[in-house]
Amino acid sequence: MSMDGFLRAAQSELGAEHVNTADETLARYGENTMPGGDRRPAAVLYPGSTGEVAAAVRLANEHKVPLFPTSTGNNMGLGTRSAPAEGMAVLDLGRRMNRILEIDERLGFAAVEPGVSFQMLADELKRRGGQWMNSTTSGPPQGGMIGNALDKGAGYGPYFDHFGFSCGMEVVLGTGATIRTGDGSIAGESLVNWHVSKYSFGPILDGLFAQSNYGIVTRLGIWLLPRPPAIRSFHFTFPDDDDLEAIVELCRPLKMSNFVPTLFRVSNDLYLIGSEVPSPAYAASGGRESIADEARKALQAEHGLGSWTVSGAFYGPSMEAMEPQIQRAVDHFGSAGKATYIPHEEALAKPALECAIASFSGEPTHTELGLLKWRPGGGNAWFTPGTPMDGRIANEFQKLGRGIYEANGLDYQVMNVAGPRFARGLHVISFNREDPDECARADTAYRALAEAFFARGVAVGRAPIDWYDFHMDKLMPSFRDACGAIKRALDPNGVIAPGRYGIY
Amino acid sequence: MRTDFSADQLADPGIAAADGILKTCVHYGFCTAVCPTYVLTRDENEAPRGRIDLIKAMLEKGGRPDPRTVGHIDSCLSCNSCMTTCAVDVDYLHLSDIARAHIEENYRRPLGDRLLRGLVARTIPDPARFTRMSRLARLAWPIRALLPRRLRNLVDLAPASLPPAPDLTGVHPAEGPRRGRVALLQGCVQQALAPEINVATVRLLTRHGFEVTVPEGAGCCGAFTLHMGKTGMATSAAARVVDALTAELEAGSLDAVAVNASGCGTVVKDYERVLERDPSRRGKAAALAAIARDVTELLAPEDLRLPETAVPLVVAYHDACSLQHAQKIRKRPRALLRAVGFEVKDIPEAHFCCGSAGAYNLLQPDMAEALGRRKAAHIESTGAAATAAGNLGCLAQIARFTALPRLHTAVLLDWATGGPLPAALRDTDLPAPVPRASPPGSPEPPAPPRPSGSGGPGIW
Repeated sequence: MSMDGFLRAAQSELGAEHVNTADETLARYGENTMPGGDRRPAAVLYPGSTGEVAAAVRLANEHKVPLFPTSTGNNMGLGTRSAPAEGMAVLDLGRRMNRILEIDERLGFAAVEPGVSFQMLADELKRRGGQWMNSTTSGPPQGGMIGNALDKGAGYGPYFDHFGFSCGMEVVLGTGATIRTGDGSIAGESLVNWHVSKYSFGPILDGLFAQSNYGIVTRLGIWLLPRPPAIRSFHFTFPDDDDLEAIVELCRPLKMSNFVPTLFRVSNDLYLIGSEVPSPAYAASGGRESIADEARKALQAEHGLGSWTVSGAFYGPSMEAMEPQIQRAVDHFGSAGKATYIPHEEALAKPALECAIASFSGEPTHTELGLLKWRPGGGNAWFTPGTPMDGRIANEFQKLGRGIYEANGLDYQVMNVAGPRFARGLHVISFNREDPDECARADTAYRALAEAFFARGVAVGRAPIDWYDFHMDKLMPSFRDACGAIKRALDPNGVIAPGRYGIY
Repeated sequence: MRTDFSADQLADPGIAAADGILKTCVHYGFCTAVCPTYVLTRDENEAPRGRIDLIKAMLEKGGRPDPRTVGHIDSCLSCNSCMTTCAVDVDYLHLSDIARAHIEENYRRPLGDRLLRGLVARTIPDPARFTRMSRLARLAWPIRALLPRRLRNLVDLAPASLPPAPDLTGVHPAEGPRRGRVALLQGCVQQALAPEINVATVRLLTRHGFEVTVPEGAGCCGAFTLHMGKTGMATSAAARVVDALTAELEAGSLDAVAVNASGCGTVVKDYERVLERDPSRRGKAAALAAIARDVTELLAPEDLRLPETAVPLVVAYHDACSLQHAQKIRKRPRALLRAVGFEVKDIPEAHFCCGSAGAYNLLQPDMAEALGRRKAAHIESTGAAATAAGNLGCLAQIARFTALPRLHTAVLLDWATGGPLPAALRDTDLPAPVPRASPPGSPEPPAPPRPSGSGGPGIW
């Protein structure tokens, strides 16, 4: 490997001002929130076009230098913008490749570069009259749409599946070749179906570029949803931890028929309250113990929330027109006898629920970032298993997860994002990264959670950089071999993000 | 973040406060993506996270700051966009004030810098001096090309003419049933540069049932010099405001202190801290801060007195940083403007500063110009016929880069509730008045135009 030679060549190809090796820059690009520590890169490059990305990949092959592409670097709880290992040359696609390339307001799609954030597209759609909305996460508004889609990120509305609702890519492979997927693969300039049809001649290659390191996606089509004239949310809060079983049973039929167009956010007490206030119990035990049930109940009372809160929303022509649906939901959740209804207007005044409303509405919001200060010290890792929409199983998983958190002196914070058949469980592991003991417990807890869920047939939806290899090692050998074989075919020198998602 | 201050250093209240703030930063880095200077330069030291590290090193080392550090602190807008996005609530606003005060006390700037900063700090907060200096600047127009960049910038920013400024001091009685008594702070440069804002504010408030008293001798609130690190000048100015209002405050006859310049409002609301080392005034400052309100906070959409017709002017609403990031006021101005019948457009990249930022566009002309052009382009992209904002500094900055009419929110509200047509709109082709359709006070924006049936992208 010749990093110096690579950087000299990159300066010549991209311009010296687009190759950054300043100490403070390298330190910051290696920062993350993991227990495993920061990973300082060797350089940061700012390509300005697909051609420049291809040039960087070609040079990386020549000099055998590993590259680590990032878009906006907001992958919080999963690695931020840090590479899985030190010494790589970061390709920061967010600085210069941040253009909205196309918006089709008739067919409802946008084509964007990697630096386009949820906020940028939402702003642009609003500027054009607000007839369309993009699905947003409840994470940072400046998060990149391509990075999120490729990491299998999600929102909460009908177009929640950000990878699933993307269509048509431009990709620079590890060989340096550039391909377009779907109907974009047709030679020529008239690509009318590139961003409207996923299924074209030949294999569907798009999936290869999700959670992998086979190529660098430089353009992606993203489908947009017509913005409804009115969005009316509803929320039900339940008092007890074990109410999750009933909640899942109540949510499933509403989603199975798509009576409710959004996903359900089924959040526990500390997930919601944690977005508003830091742990009141942390100081007393110095972070060595989980918050006690009595303190948790006191927080619930203070914030007017129970152990679990379900949020969803209807879309319709007016707030009044949705009254019958709201009444139906109130009757349905009320049938369990334990739900307290929180209407839309009341929820708007609760920051923890306002975030849900914004997310259902395609409005980027900072509110949920407050979760990151539940414990001091900036440690944060996300464990993302899932459960079938079977109340008994979901509740069993809840007890399992809660027990492992408590065994390690951590606080159970989880949101189940529920569809008709499956709910993704976003487990937040908040810890003090400046305390070696807490770091060690966070690592132990993550591994214990992953082992326990794996034993029950559950993998994770996304993985933090500390545990890429750990997760990949759980998969069947033939699957791992296939991933390796594809890597060698598309990136023979292994220059793109070696080790990302455990693929080398 | 860990800090390394000695016990002696921590005995200084400023260092102790900085220590507490520094420890809250954990380098998440959300701030970088929303920091205008970082987005434009991609220099880590031009981002809040980098500046926090530099401030930490500067204060821990003590003594004379590194000129490079001074440069990076000077180039910060203090827009506080970082505070809106920060997940752990780092109090960057006060940390940067402490850093600037440290620089002011411990760093001898080059002569040109000292002269320029001294001139700005003494001119802007004093309306009479500002008027004299503006005349002088106009005399320098013929030779502006020969002047150094920053001096030329000052000449360029000087207004071509200044309107007559009426004396508003005294009491303005409420119209109709009295809802309360408020003191209006006239600000400093605003009195000279745009006196119509205060005049319209008085009309607007009295029309809606407030008795308005405009105290004599209040003058500048201190915000301008505070953010330059000139703590002594700032606290003296704040003390004058407190003294001017004390009698009415202590008599309990004041329901609110109305501020119509959001940069000032942010500091007035923080007066207890500004005057924390002045025991004779600290309590009064706290009481004053507790009742300080932006003018839009004093009015609710449902309370507006609306004529039977409305002019559906399309207005792009610009969130002044001090209003959106420091005071967290975003919804109310929009709700009021919509309630009186304007069609309000949000401006893309609304979290970004326009480059005005107190003394910033006077002292950092290049970055200010880049941001001003960027903001103006976003405003024009909305297709609005006019721009509204709650801060004179923003209006003046935006005016440099777009020909669209720029109006203070209070001026628009005054016109729409019965006041005269604002001068800024006299040459604008206004839409015809329409009968008021929605009930007064409706806080919800009108649904975007969407023909029923097949016209829109979806059917609901």
